[in-house]
Amino acid sequence: MIEFLAAAIRIATPLALAALGGILSERAGVFAVGLEGMMLAGAFAAAIGAWATSEPIAGLLLAPLGGGVIGLAVAIVAVRFRADNMVTGLAVNVLALGLTSYLMRILASGGRPVSMRLPLLTALPIPALSDLPVIGPLLFAQPPLTYLTALGCLLMTLFLNRTQAGLTLRATGENPEAVFASGGHPARVRMLAVIACGAVAGLGGAVLTLQQVGTFTDGMTGGRGYMALAALIVGRWTPWGAAAACLVFGAAEAFELRLQSFGVPVSSYVVQMAPYLIALTVLAGLGQSSKLPAAIGQPLPSTR
Amino acid sequence: MSDAAPAADQTARLQTRRLRLRRDGLGSRIGVALLLSLLCAAALIALAGHNPLEAFLAIVQGAVGSQHQIGASLNRTTPYLLSGAGVALCFRAGIINIGAEGQIAVGGAGAAAAALALAGAPSLVAIPLALVGGALAGSLWAGLAAAIHLGRGVHEVLVTLLLNFIALLLVQQLLAGPLGQPGAGFLQSSLMPRSAWLSHLAGFDVHAGILIAVVAAAALSFVLWWTRFGFALRVSGSSRLAAAYAGFSLARLTWGAMLTAGALAGLAGGIEVLGMHRRLIEGFSLGFGFKAVTVALLGAMEPLAVVPAALFVGLLESGSLAMQRQIGVPTALITVIEGLTMLFVLAATAARR
Repeated sequence: MIEFLAAAIRIATPLALAALGGILSERAGVFAVGLEGMMLAGAFAAAIGAWATSEPIAGLLLAPLGGGVIGLAVAIVAVRFRADNMVTGLAVNVLALGLTSYLMRILASGGRPVSMRLPLLTALPIPALSDLPVIGPLLFAQPPLTYLTALGCLLMTLFLNRTQAGLTLRATGENPEAVFASGGHPARVRMLAVIACGAVAGLGGAVLTLQQVGTFTDGMTGGRGYMALAALIVGRWTPWGAAAACLVFGAAEAFELRLQSFGVPVSSYVVQMAPYLIALTVLAGLGQSSKLPAAIGQPLPSTR
Repeated sequence: MSDAAPAADQTARLQTRRLRLRRDGLGSRIGVALLLSLLCAAALIALAGHNPLEAFLAIVQGAVGSQHQIGASLNRTTPYLLSGAGVALCFRAGIINIGAEGQIAVGGAGAAAAALALAGAPSLVAIPLALVGGALAGSLWAGLAAAIHLGRGVHEVLVTLLLNFIALLLVQQLLAGPLGQPGAGFLQSSLMPRSAWLSHLAGFDVHAGILIAVVAAAALSFVLWWTRFGFALRVSGSSRLAAAYAGFSLARLTWGAMLTAGALAGLAGGIEVLGMHRRLIEGFSLGFGFKAVTVALLGAMEPLAVVPAALFVGLLESGSLAMQRQIGVPTALITVIEGLTMLFVLAATAARR
């Protein structure tokens, strides 16, 4: 049981970080379809940093940069040029996939990707708390990015609900004209929000390379960005809600791993569908959402 | 038509779709976008320490250097053209269908199942029926997306994306079970019966799929510009409100566009199975969904213009192997070019309010 919960938390962590980034983007009014590419670029940048210096910390510092570059591309095309958010997100996902694969190969200069064995971020047990029975090893002996995810949920909630900047960000997603009328700059807010989304989602990708897999492989995010997108919608655009949804998806995947290891005669392909089916079912069950930021996906009127 | 004027909250939702192009100087805008992405690609090639001109030359030679290579390029173009034309139709109506990948996968499975069931039938029966089976299966998968989208108000991007993942796993499950070749060691079906093979056109290394695809694109263009359904699609793509006030049923339009696109993607899957692999194999549609979006954008969401767009992507991919072999530039560059092209086309053509 402990192992199962630990697996659920492990699988949920990258998703939850990416979803936190996505909340910034969507609450500011830009659909976060590009999460997949932002995660992938972050995972790549983290791998490069850790590989070049043999220090996982360097990877940790580079990851937001990688994701942020993809965020910048979305910000320019979707906000500045007012292109369709969704398709722009898809485009950067394709770009990130191609660019990371390409760079991995030219680093090795032989047509094959450079092989990396990265030093992993190790678990940081919190003194006293990690000695508690059951929940100690489960919650308080995690690697750093997992703590960061939990802290991120708290900080994001405070930021959105308790700060002036958070209010402006939410207003930009609901009614950009009002932000403009009160002297704000909706386009600037959206661009910053999307770039910040990329940086946070990039950290989500870094969880994969620095905390779990220890190397970078082509397209290693494998749809996690899309699952994060589904999670933030299921979680009603709130940090804790999204994190809870990620835990549910993580539990579904962990359950699938358990079934396989016990040799239960259920086809693995059907079981692997579980997270996607759950996401689809929950989305369909929630139905049309009134919570969707009102001005999401709508280009800003030109203000000159 | 049923739902004449949409409710207020629905109106707000309808306005969020703006996949529109600036009409003025569209061709040159797309041309500039393409040029910019090729320039970026050249910079990346130079970064790898190679000569960009040599690399591009190797792509061209690898794509059209011999009759065999031209055939291979056209065969690559076929699924992109079919699925891209369908995606273009959806985009025209403001429906962002990115489910081509899943629809192609399921279509391939449908065609394979039909062809295997028709073993022993003459080609004239087996091929058309198998292809129809593929188109139906693709339509069914797209219809499922349309039903969830319209019935439950879930955004079509999410529905089609999630259904892509489910479709890939579904095909794997079919290959592990009823459609699989026992003891193959891979996830693949048995070889299709020879009578269902889409044979090469006389004297060329290209199968008949490209002809089907071009005819389908032309037919789609006709539908878009010369029929009431096409007109309604274009109106709803320009303004959902106007379409609703004109009395067009948005639900019916969505069904029509999705089922058509699904059928075309399914057909593409069937053609891949019968013409290229001659069996159903795991993951044969991987990445096709995004290429369909790329060519739809590059073709300005105009089915006939998707023909050169798909040809461009097909040639690029077909020639990229030669580039990697001869010059040493990784083929992943092609994916970069596709992503950049999408971004630049989006930026260059986005409609201003």
